[in-house]
Amino acid sequence: MLEIRQLSLCFPNGKRALTDLDLTVRAGELVIVLGGNGSGKTTLLRCINRTLTPTAGEVWLNGLNITHLHGEGLRRARLELAMISQHASLVGRRSALKNVATGALGRHFNAWTAVGGLPAEELRLARGYLAQVGLSGLEQQRAGTLSGGQAQRVAVARALAQKPKVLLADEPVASLDPEATSEIMRLLRHLATEEGHAVLCVLHQVELAYAYADRAIGIRDGRVAFDLARADMTKEAVNQLYVSEAA
Amino acid sequence: MTTSVDRRGNPFFALWRNSGGAFAGALRVVGFLVAVLVVVQSIIVVEARPQDLVTGFHGMVDIVRRAVPPDFSKLPKALWPALETIDIAIFGTLVGLIMAVPLAVMGASNVTPSRLVYYAARGVIAFTRAVPDLVWALFFVTAVGLGPFPGGLALAVHSLGMLGRLFAETIEHMDMGPIDALSLTGARPIQVFTHGIIPSVLPSLLGISLYRLDENIRSSLVLGFVGAGGIGFQLLTAMNLFQYREVSLLLIITFVIVFAAERLSALLRQKLA
Repeated sequence: MLEIRQLSLCFPNGKRALTDLDLTVRAGELVIVLGGNGSGKTTLLRCINRTLTPTAGEVWLNGLNITHLHGEGLRRARLELAMISQHASLVGRRSALKNVATGALGRHFNAWTAVGGLPAEELRLARGYLAQVGLSGLEQQRAGTLSGGQAQRVAVARALAQKPKVLLADEPVASLDPEATSEIMRLLRHLATEEGHAVLCVLHQVELAYAYADRAIGIRDGRVAFDLARADMTKEAVNQLYVSEAA
Repeated sequence: MTTSVDRRGNPFFALWRNSGGAFAGALRVVGFLVAVLVVVQSIIVVEARPQDLVTGFHGMVDIVRRAVPPDFSKLPKALWPALETIDIAIFGTLVGLIMAVPLAVMGASNVTPSRLVYYAARGVIAFTRAVPDLVWALFFVTAVGLGPFPGGLALAVHSLGMLGRLFAETIEHMDMGPIDALSLTGARPIQVFTHGIIPSVLPSLLGISLYRLDENIRSSLVLGFVGAGGIGFQLLTAMNLFQYREVSLLLIITFVIVFAAERLSALLRQKLA
């Protein structure tokens, strides 16, 4: 589903952010990326969604090499690649329902959507996505008035409206309380297992990787330090990632 | 002595430190003298003659005496120019708004399609803003003739500059998170604009536009002086014919229009906040 081959990124100032990085995320799999600050986790996601262009290596999405796509080709590729960020990034003055439905805009380009309208069918579906993330009844509430956890769930629902094959999540629970964190992680787990999405999630909380991941990938200095299935994830292996960084 | 910036190599700072306060005192005196000089030269340049206010006092009293009571029999004749004044402002603001939005997007550094477009848009905004609306009115009166239309055009072009700059700054200061998130869903640039940028900045844009409408109503009163229609033209004619009672009526109408526009604009902006 998502395959990264020998991915490297060197910034114009000469700093190497990623080096020869390989990883694969299959459909129905939740892979959690761990690593210290500045290890290259977010840069990896930005290379996959192509807000950064890697200097070497390839990103394959559903059998298509998207590494050097631009313009319309990149836009089409992004339809299959939803992104959930640390901040929900909703349009605060629009309702939760409309925010969700905007996730489907890429599949509907006509005069109505160009002037700010949303397709009636997508608004109907958006109700279902909001119900799926446990927010029935809040459809008409302004996004700016939602709590952090609710807003993040709306962001997940917006990603679902996109109907992607791959879900990328960059620290989606970083600013949430434990209860909201569990809700979001259960949701990501469900989307992988029940809906068949390939989910690649960057986290700082190691215990969440033990609880929810199929596999965990440790990144250190832009390289893959380990790639372990949940059954093989020992605390020593994970701790080694941070201990080594501290040293 | 410890400071956040090392000034030890600065001779000005060394002089300041070693003078024991005398240097600072001298600087204050020089500053005061410069300020006095600026005020005095401005009085000389404007040829201010306060004694003329005293000698002209009788003339002013005479004008006020001849201006009361206001000639309310002229009220029906003044209503159309009054409406014209308001409509010039509405037309100017609306057309200026329509032109300013796309120009502001092109002239906002965070969403502009290219640097060339950015500088071109900023150039147009700066030029239309720099030229006063009265000058634009003279230009359009020459181009399309006397009447309210050149007044509306003048306000539209000047508003384009004023609104364009404020809109561009509003867009530059908005949260880019929702815009980036929308782009990453595969939405096209026009959809990102209508579904992301516009809803995010709409209340600010409407507030700024209402304030501009308020300003334009004041401006449109004056545009009549150069033949661009409205109550200003009536006012100038009445003054030239020494019809001071009509002048006072027109001034009362002007006050009512400006006050009502100001209150309405403030009320609507309060609702939008």
